[in-house]
Amino acid sequence: MAVLTSLAEAITANVGDGDMVALEGFTHLIPFAAGHEIVRQGRQDLTLVRMTPDVLYDQLIGMGVAARLVFSWGGNPGVGSLHRFRDAVEHGWPRPLQLEEHSHAGMANRYVAGASGLPFAVLRGYVGTDLVDHTANVAPLACPFTGERLTAVAALRPDVTVIHAQQADRAGNVQLWGICGVQKEAVLAARRAVVTVEEVVEELQPRPGAIVLPGWVLSAVAEVPGGAQPSYAQDYSTRDNAFYEAWDVISRDRDTFLGWMRTHVLDLVPSTT
Amino acid sequence: MADKRMTPQEVVGRLESGMTIGIGGWGSRRKPMALVKAIVQSDLRDLTVVTFGGPDLGILCTAGKVKRAVYAFVAPDVAGATNKNSPVLEGHFRKARQSGAIEDEPYDEGMVLLGLQAAAWRVPFLPTRVGLGSDLLRDNPRLKTVTSPFDDGEELIAMPALELDAALVHMNRADERGNAVYLGPDPYFDDLMLAAAKVGFVSTERIVDTAELLKEAPPQALRINRAFVTGVVETPGGAAPTSCEPDYERDEDLHAKYMAAAKSDEAWDEFLAAWEAK
Repeated sequence: MAVLTSLAEAITANVGDGDMVALEGFTHLIPFAAGHEIVRQGRQDLTLVRMTPDVLYDQLIGMGVAARLVFSWGGNPGVGSLHRFRDAVEHGWPRPLQLEEHSHAGMANRYVAGASGLPFAVLRGYVGTDLVDHTANVAPLACPFTGERLTAVAALRPDVTVIHAQQADRAGNVQLWGICGVQKEAVLAARRAVVTVEEVVEELQPRPGAIVLPGWVLSAVAEVPGGAQPSYAQDYSTRDNAFYEAWDVISRDRDTFLGWMRTHVLDLVPSTT
Repeated sequence: MADKRMTPQEVVGRLESGMTIGIGGWGSRRKPMALVKAIVQSDLRDLTVVTFGGPDLGILCTAGKVKRAVYAFVAPDVAGATNKNSPVLEGHFRKARQSGAIEDEPYDEGMVLLGLQAAAWRVPFLPTRVGLGSDLLRDNPRLKTVTSPFDDGEELIAMPALELDAALVHMNRADERGNAVYLGPDPYFDDLMLAAAKVGFVSTERIVDTAELLKEAPPQALRINRAFVTGVVETPGGAAPTSCEPDYERDEDLHAKYMAAAKSDEAWDEFLAAWEAK
């Protein structure tokens, strides 16, 4: 059952050194505040998982919290490369980063398998690409009916999934809406799940296309208004596009990056509400 | 915007003998019976019917339209006369199955769901634990197993995709473009039936303006997306004798006639006359 707690306590209780951690979101609802709290608490040797790792993952990788990245596509959307990600892969700074690269459909299917309690999922992807030869957790599989060569991808079961949503009620049920990524599947696949929300409300109102995560699939819910910035939360905030462009400059240089992280992350006192 | 309204006869005109047809609803609940009636009155035959079955499959069996039944269950949804806890068997389906008049392809409910899901996702099968340890592997020779290619090496059931040539479903309200809502307690798997089919037809109690679809229903009741719908048929009372809550409950009188109709040709004719008069 979800407990309503502070962000700091939610991370302390649910994210440990060496854990496999998925911080999901798709342009929208990226859990920046929770990611920053992981940095502040000095977690190490994480295996980070993410479809479309972007600026938050650049920050986590640049601060050296990750030993390994399991992902599909990486970049600063609409801007360019992630320079901290590149520096870690190309020069091992601040530490080497192992990569396990998948297709989007492969990652989504891996979460679905994890959420379904199955060892693997089946899809038509990967066939004809070089990923099969270079990527763990992908295996060819013959269809037992048609003989068609399909691809099996192994279930993903993060130790903890972290997401940001618009609302929770006092029982810890969560609702998110607007552009959604793979949050539901990533939460259901994980052993533990932490959700930051814009607002705790008395009652969740049904909305078209919304996803509801019942409190019993969550570990902790923390009210963190603006917790997705510079990403956004539909009906609460807009995306700070200028920041994403500014990040390209900040992140190119190691010292500039470290200075920015010190000022904007490390020296900030976490929310204790 | 496309106006997809058509008659039950026009729907049947899009179907062909030998097709695999998915029928929505559940047992004796929200079945597209007006469309089933149009099939009974047509010269279609040799159909493979995929269903969470009730009178839809039973009637088509007795009417001689079915070559093969693919089903999770076939149930009349009524308690027994002597023991209220004992379910009554579906007489029409039982007769056709036991006489060998139809081919039999039984599944578990979860397997039919996954078979439709596989077809909707356009993959030839999905792995599942549903059905493991049951007699289905013996009784359904179409089922196979698949072994995980990873270290766990687990053997799972491979549920084949249940690809449908056409799907027929009945919804409480629809617009003329094919968006549709249910107002009752359960969506069943009608949306998945449509996604698994090459063409989909929705019969409905009432065609309303698109803006009115959500007047009586919460947003999540808007289960049917026009992208999956080829034709919309306004058939008030079109689920009878099955229920279409909250518009109406099961027509117990007509349903009793249907149940009795498995006993003799005379009773069958009497049921058909009563049903066609509706």
